[in-house]
Amino acid sequence: MKMAMRAALRCLSVNFSPRLPQLSSAAQVSATRLLCRSGAPRTLSTTSGQCTALKFTEKHEWVLVESGIGTVGISNYAQEALGDVVYCGLPEVGQKLEQLDECGALESVKAASELYSPLTGEVTAINTELAENPGLVNKSCYADGWLIKMTIERPEELDRLMDQPAYDKFIKSLEE
Amino acid sequence: MLSHLRGTFCVLSAGVQRAWSSSSCLFMDPSSPGLVLQSQSTDVFQNLALEDWIDAHVDLQQRSILLLWRNRPTVVIGRHQNPWAECNLPAMRSAQVPVARRRSGGGTVYHDLGNLNLTFFASKKAYDRRRNLKVVTDALRRVRPQLDIQATDRLDILLNGRYKISGTASRLSRKSSYHHCTLLHSADRSAIAVLLRPSCPGIRSNATPSIPSPVTNLTDHAPSLQWEELLEAVVQQYSSEFGLTSSSQCVDPADEALFPGVGSMEAELRGWQWTFGKTPKFSVETQLELRDERPAARCSAQLQLEVKNGRVESCRVEVPATWLPERLSASLAQALLGERFCPHRAAAALSALLRCESGPLHSRLRNLCDVLVAAMG
Repeated sequence: MKMAMRAALRCLSVNFSPRLPQLSSAAQVSATRLLCRSGAPRTLSTTSGQCTALKFTEKHEWVLVESGIGTVGISNYAQEALGDVVYCGLPEVGQKLEQLDECGALESVKAASELYSPLTGEVTAINTELAENPGLVNKSCYADGWLIKMTIERPEELDRLMDQPAYDKFIKSLEE
Repeated sequence: MLSHLRGTFCVLSAGVQRAWSSSSCLFMDPSSPGLVLQSQSTDVFQNLALEDWIDAHVDLQQRSILLLWRNRPTVVIGRHQNPWAECNLPAMRSAQVPVARRRSGGGTVYHDLGNLNLTFFASKKAYDRRRNLKVVTDALRRVRPQLDIQATDRLDILLNGRYKISGTASRLSRKSSYHHCTLLHSADRSAIAVLLRPSCPGIRSNATPSIPSPVTNLTDHAPSLQWEELLEAVVQQYSSEFGLTSSSQCVDPADEALFPGVGSMEAELRGWQWTFGKTPKFSVETQLELRDERPAARCSAQLQLEVKNGRVESCRVEVPATWLPERLSASLAQALLGERFCPHRAAAALSALLRCESGPLHSRLRNLCDVLVAAMG
């Protein structure tokens, strides 16, 4: 079932290719909900652990949880603000992070922007595609441009992050 | 922890019974939206630490700060660069020129006392590099109107449309930002040519590269421009652009009382782990030229190394078996695993092997060790 889930995710990732016009953040999230809806066909659900909708931090990172592992990336707002990413400085696999720890930096023509861990946990994977292709962060920030995966030591931290509507409201308030 | 420290700093400045100089109220004067500081230190690590300290501890939401500083001869590489690719570490060791990795992005620069560094601190909202550079270009145009000074799209400052006199880099953190730039007043350009070249051949890396540019000094074109005159022009221009009520203050970046915690920031910046250990993974592929004296003979060998976090992660030394038995070259390669990519560490690791091998192959083995060590920059 996990394999089917990954296959489904890959199909969706293809939809986020740069050939297509950039999906609005609402469209991105409804894509996620497609994967995670309870009542979805059995091939898309796992027996252990829920898949949750995207959560966001005030630093414009998103977290998507699957089977107790959080995938982390930056939001569309963040990648636009950054400009073209030329280098992704990511933490090491196995590195233990506290919430809000500095854990790397994304370098763009604009600046080196610090990355802050959205949660407390241990890094289980980093996106090695970004070494050769840092522009994935701009082109596909919700899918192929993911940054790290990590364990979730304190689920209550996840609960305190913003959901999509709250994040959209937050962005509006920044732009005023 | 950082926000707690920020609060603590405010309390300290208000309440502690000490002989504070006027600079102690540096960051607290609400009537001063802009503030100019001049560092008393010419130590790059102390100055970089001061930048980090200000970024972490000073509330920049309502104000901006300009820090002026210069360093004794140093090479400064960008956040994600490879020091072995960017600068000639053996030559720098001989000349006692240190390398420092800064926290901002961008490329490699040479600093000496003839180069002025300007750091513009602001909130993330107020981050505006063009506005900052306008302070510099307007100041220069005012004191030497005959000079052709322009900021480019890349945020370099060019003289006569050709020669770079300033480069820019910056860092964005939680709520604040800093943008710093160099300004070549009277730096030693010959040092740049010697020191800003690779340490060793055959490096392949996806670290951020530098873009070499022809450079010139302001004093090459305006010989009468004094250092103090330049500083004063910049401070005046900053005042009129950002609003300033007090004159600039001198600060000692090593003053732990004024900047609590700055010492450990300096130690981190000075350390091997940050400077070299943070280098993005890279490989070295190069040909080694081996020789023997008695009888005179030569041979080529191949070296292939992967370096991760500044240490040798994998190593292959391919020497023709007619020159040295494979077991010897293999054990040399093995001895380097896990060692820092560094000629001293390599020499130490290999010397143990050398001691074990006497006999007719010793001179060839010794030669291979020497050549390997030289390939490590």
